Amino acid sequence: MISIEHVSKSFPGVQALDDVSFAIQDGQVHGLVGENGAGKSTLIKILSGIYPDYEGSVGIEGSTVRFASVHAAQAGGVATIFQELTMIPELSVAENIFLGREPVRRGGIMDWKTMWTRSREALDFLDAPLDPKAQVSRLSVANQQIVEICKALVLSSRIIIMDEPTSSLTEHEVRQLFALIRRLRERGITILYVSHKIEEIFEICDWVTVLRDGRHIDTVEKSSTTPDQVIGMMVGRSLNMMFPQRSARPGELLLSVRRAGRTGEFADVSFDLHEGEILGFAGLIGAGRTELARAVYGASSLDSGEVLLQGHRLGRFAHPSQALSRGVAYLSEDRKGEGLMLQLSIRENMSLTILKRISRYLFVQRRRERELVDEYVGKFKIKMTSVEQLAESLSGGNQQKVVISKLLLTEARVFIFDEPTRGIDVGAKYEIYKIMADLTAEGKGIIFISSELPEVLGVSDRILCMREGKLVQEFRAAEADPEKIMRVLAGGEAA
Amino acid sequence: MSERKLSLREAFKIRELPILIYVVAMIVVFSISIDGFFSLKSFENITRQITTIGIVSIGMTLIILTGGIDLSVGAILSFAINIGGLGIVAGWPMWVVYPFMLVMGLALGWLNGFLVTRVAVPALIITLGTMNIYRGAIMVITKGRYITPIPKAYEAIGSGYVPFVFLALILVVFIYVSLNTRFGRNLFAIGGAEQSAVYSGVPVRRYKMIVYTLSGVLSALAGMILVGKSGFIQPQAGVGYELNAIAAVVIGGTSIFGGSGSVLGTFLGSVLMGLILAGLTMLAVNPYWVGLITGVLIILAIAADTLRHLRRQS
Repeated sequence: MISIEHVSKSFPGVQALDDVSFAIQDGQVHGLVGENGAGKSTLIKILSGIYPDYEGSVGIEGSTVRFASVHAAQAGGVATIFQELTMIPELSVAENIFLGREPVRRGGIMDWKTMWTRSREALDFLDAPLDPKAQVSRLSVANQQIVEICKALVLSSRIIIMDEPTSSLTEHEVRQLFALIRRLRERGITILYVSHKIEEIFEICDWVTVLRDGRHIDTVEKSSTTPDQVIGMMVGRSLNMMFPQRSARPGELLLSVRRAGRTGEFADVSFDLHEGEILGFAGLIGAGRTELARAVYGASSLDSGEVLLQGHRLGRFAHPSQALSRGVAYLSEDRKGEGLMLQLSIRENMSLTILKRISRYLFVQRRRERELVDEYVGKFKIKMTSVEQLAESLSGGNQQKVVISKLLLTEARVFIFDEPTRGIDVGAKYEIYKIMADLTAEGKGIIFISSELPEVLGVSDRILCMREGKLVQEFRAAEADPEKIMRVLAGGEAA
Repeated sequence: MSERKLSLREAFKIRELPILIYVVAMIVVFSISIDGFFSLKSFENITRQITTIGIVSIGMTLIILTGGIDLSVGAILSFAINIGGLGIVAGWPMWVVYPFMLVMGLALGWLNGFLVTRVAVPALIITLGTMNIYRGAIMVITKGRYITPIPKAYEAIGSGYVPFVFLALILVVFIYVSLNTRFGRNLFAIGGAEQSAVYSGVPVRRYKMIVYTLSGVLSALAGMILVGKSGFIQPQAGVGYELNAIAAVVIGGTSIFGGSGSVLGTFLGSVLMGLILAGLTMLAVNPYWVGLITGVLIILAIAADTLRHLRRQS
């Protein structure tokens, strides 16, 4: 049993964990849920040895432990699979499994044979047909995760912490991971499973612990609770508020795409977007939705087809700046890579695309900039210490609000939102939906790409289903239901 | 779950293949177009030429593998031989002078490592600083004076094939170390994903200290050979070595971002640079072309590396 007793941890200005106590039973899969900023990551970092300084105590099998490093935690039987995988690309599977504790002969010379044999054993236990000698950079993310799990096995860990393990896996790979987790549990290994995804928690976990604002809300057995209750505990409000009411009705034609195609990515895609409309794009990963959005926006290029704005033929956007100047804005699914300048402040990020507008002669008018930034910070309730705070230090949800503010400031009329709620917590998701609803009320049109069916269904007016680069079917929101759509997306009949 | 399999040995082979092809092609082209290029004489010339840079660039490879860089190798080389040279002038015996030079290299390399691991400043900046410090110290101490002539005994290490034997030995040792020891393999881990290496219990700091220290010692050794070949000691010795060494490393296929590369590749890189220099000289091409061609090679090599990175991501 792992007992967490009165654990508190604070950072300058933030109480990350506040007197948290609960217990994790041996040989169980224990889910840990909470919004971003609820304290999940802090708790993981304490258990895995990254934060050795905290108040309270952690006990394993009745004896108090305090891990001074990740290495020490591993030696103590706790292995953590971090959200960002920690693989060394150039090394082999076996070398990654044994990184930091390679079996060596005298003089530090590698004992390859032992390493390969023991890696083989671990891989066999997981039924993973990977070659211990294969270079890790050639493995898929899912297989890299398997290597991480092998690492934990080889360490003979009794406790494995998994931090958002499914965030970059396909549905099929998630199935495989769950099968692995069940096998680990059969072996008596305790798993702390940290996730945003309630469905997953309910599928794989035996127990659920909910954190909110650094406090422990409850630890319950799965059988004695429901997803709605858990979400309620996470956000402090109930589930029926998940999607905001929308008043807007679709109006004039805004954007049309005709017979758009790009070799190897998508073909013959045509659709219309109207004022005040949210057009949902559903599809599995790799269906070509992001590729389509990027090509329409000019971030890549269309090989065929054309784009029309309010019925005027434009041909194709050759560059994002053209799209922006015509009032088309794109929110990338890659927030940190393509949306934000992590090293710039909130203010600088927001005003980046409108510097020209708020400048007089060569100079940016600071007061004007400040007014606009303050307006959006207030409107979206961005949690921060000041507008000069660096974007990288914000939580995912607040980062996303900054990126959206930036797009809104461009005064675009067509918004392409690509996975706007990825990796952000339930409360922040709701706020993003609210922003989308407000935009449509002002007559803007939104193309909404999401891999989470419930939100596509909950927010969109119409839902376009893409499969293997083609538009396969359109649903009106009223007539759509998750099973129908999933059948279309996963292949098989067009209902 | 099928993945393309690639064993260590295959990866090893593939990595050096392009550079090996260049080297062979270069030899063929020059042998056809230049009478007497394919001869023992020119082989000796080229090997003599590449030994000092070759040795320095092996140390540089280890550092670049960890994601670092050392701009001070030329300065360390010069510092070791010039300060050691004062010992020669003072009449120290050779068995004192040589170890003293190596210790100088070790000390300055260690200082680099210490600063890189303790100060949160990129190695590029740290070693840019130490390069100037070491060079400045040489000028202050020697007042810019040459030491010449030096006793004949010091020329033994630089005569005939002796330098090449040194290079070959060091090469073999470090190829083995980089491929088959925990220290060597962990260098790839440090350069590939430093935080992961720390989390996995790799002694990142210690290993970094070791590579910078090793590089310092190898630079001093290269300096001793340089003294043997030239027969005098000058404060400006080793100027530009750092850039040539980095060029050899990069042309040899080691990623400038760290985490991938090979010692053998670096050796082939320095061979290629030596071949081009020798070939063009024998063709009586204006030597200024050498720099131009080296530059193109560096950019091609980095472009190839970047392409590899991109392909990996997609």
